[in-house]
Amino acid sequence: MAELRGTSGEGPNHLLTRWFGTPDLHTLAVYEQKADGYKALRKALFDMEPAAITNEVKASGLRGRGGAGFATGVKWSFIKRDTPEQKYVVVNADESEPGTAKDRYIMENCPHMVIEGILIAAYAVGASQAWIYIRGEYDGPYRMMHEAIEEARAKGYVGDKPMGKDFPLDIRMYRGHGAYICGEETALLESLEGKRAQPRSRPPFPAVKGAWGRPTLLNNVETLATVPTILNMGGAAYAKIGTEKNPGTRLLTVSGNVKKPGVYEVEIGKTFRHIIMELAGGPPDGRKVKVFWPGGSSAPVLPESMLDTTCDAEALAAAKSMGGSGGVIVMDDTHCMIRAAHRLLKFYARESCGKCTPCRIGGDWAVRMYERILANEGGQVELQNLRQVSDALQNGRCLCGLGDSAGWVIDSTMRHFYSEYEEHCLHHTCSVEAVAAHA
Amino acid sequence: MSALSEHLLDEIRELPAHYPQPRSAVMPALDLAQEELGHLTPEAMSEVARALQLDPGYVEGVATFYSLFHLRPVGQHRFYVCTNLSCMLRGANGIVDHLKETIGVNDPTDVSKDGLFSYDEVECLGACEYAPMMRLDHQYFYDLTNDKIDALVAERKGAGVKTAGVEAAGVEAMSPPNPPRERGGKKRKASG
Repeated sequence: MAELRGTSGEGPNHLLTRWFGTPDLHTLAVYEQKADGYKALRKALFDMEPAAITNEVKASGLRGRGGAGFATGVKWSFIKRDTPEQKYVVVNADESEPGTAKDRYIMENCPHMVIEGILIAAYAVGASQAWIYIRGEYDGPYRMMHEAIEEARAKGYVGDKPMGKDFPLDIRMYRGHGAYICGEETALLESLEGKRAQPRSRPPFPAVKGAWGRPTLLNNVETLATVPTILNMGGAAYAKIGTEKNPGTRLLTVSGNVKKPGVYEVEIGKTFRHIIMELAGGPPDGRKVKVFWPGGSSAPVLPESMLDTTCDAEALAAAKSMGGSGGVIVMDDTHCMIRAAHRLLKFYARESCGKCTPCRIGGDWAVRMYERILANEGGQVELQNLRQVSDALQNGRCLCGLGDSAGWVIDSTMRHFYSEYEEHCLHHTCSVEAVAAHA
Repeated sequence: MSALSEHLLDEIRELPAHYPQPRSAVMPALDLAQEELGHLTPEAMSEVARALQLDPGYVEGVATFYSLFHLRPVGQHRFYVCTNLSCMLRGANGIVDHLKETIGVNDPTDVSKDGLFSYDEVECLGACEYAPMMRLDHQYFYDLTNDKIDALVAERKGAGVKTAGVEAAGVEAMSPPNPPRERGGKKRKASG
């Protein structure tokens, strides 16, 4: 395996990653012996009522780590447990948000932690079958998860009577085939059902009508991997970590122009200055942080002057951004904002599923505007068009958030770096790249 | 004469039973077809449709939606180089330029003359702490440099040279060349 880049071993508030780096942690034996492995599952199956498990997760204040940040325990409680129909747990392992690698980090280092979380969740909501939807490019994590499931099956933790408890729990895997949109929960369900991955309109919500028309709990890998920790330490104790409204720790992937890119587990509420300048070592020598995306490319950008923003959902909302998937992308002052925005719009245009017109058409429009601007053919018209497209993409005009995210890239880069847009459009120059070329 | 082997079609016909609803088998089935042929021909898609009792247009609709299904020939080895932001900020575009020159392919739809190589510029592959990075066939490669690209291309040109040489070039290999094939969650007996 490649060298670990990021948090591993003992450290303040290393709840998930404190055992990372332990040799053979990916095996069931080491996970059990050295990492309190499957202790929480045992507790859940034999010492707790299903409703009590959900309440414990509620008490922890855990919020989903996939992007939307919905309260996990509340989501669990939406599933009516005591109905006879088949229910499913579907695990979103389709990590595709640009700048996000934390689910891969967890699955490669400690697949059993994910499996334990899945089994606990399935038991709590009364689902006898769980499906892990994993992106097709993740060959390594797929193999590790697959082997870990088989190990757990052989040990009797997955199967008809997990640990002897009369409640069948099965875990299966389904591979994605390259589509960012599958990270959106209803698109993921469509894909799992063998269809083009186009988001569904809601209601009905997955908790009522999800995978194959059945009640379904959808959670992200990191969210479920946190569940064993919560049961082991108690929801109330977990809630004391982090901020009041956004408790706990989360794994932030810090990438781009930093000296030590990596996946860092941080207590929620730390500042981005701490995360980028201290943990990730700051930008290369002689350069400055220009801008950062605090939660994947879909989170509106924040300029260097906002490095003291804390990484909790409330502070980020106040800064007109969001925590998203925890992908912190750092760009230094040798890079042009317009070029970066162009690249991201190309991404959103390419990944639009085509279902909603504003997103299908708007992304391409924006890309064309950026291409003209970068070819020094831009002017007031292009600026005006970008504004209009950005507006059309946002504000609930599409079924899912992909269009909004594309609009936010335009909006937030214009909000904080309008002078660069003007320079490109009105003077047909880029002082950033001119300086970089001479450096 | 069918495009897909009889043995493979048998395997495909068994897939639907492994899912709560048969339709879910369409992607695993297309996987098998692509593995056998290298890319999905119209005939192959029709045969998959027939084997799964689905409409051919439906199967093609699924195949065209997902980027990992190839609808035209690809090289024996395919480079998927991430050029999204985290990799772009660390030089991914230069890596792509160098790769194109090295394998003599100018466009993602082309294949090198010897049939060995093709490439694509892809979106984030979820290994951003190792940027710039790429997926080559079924392996991830990290901290890319032009020299690493050269070494990987040279090794694949000289058939028989194995991964040892890659590691000597300092390239990290993340996964085995052939990951376990998805068998669609075959029903397994619980042992315990």
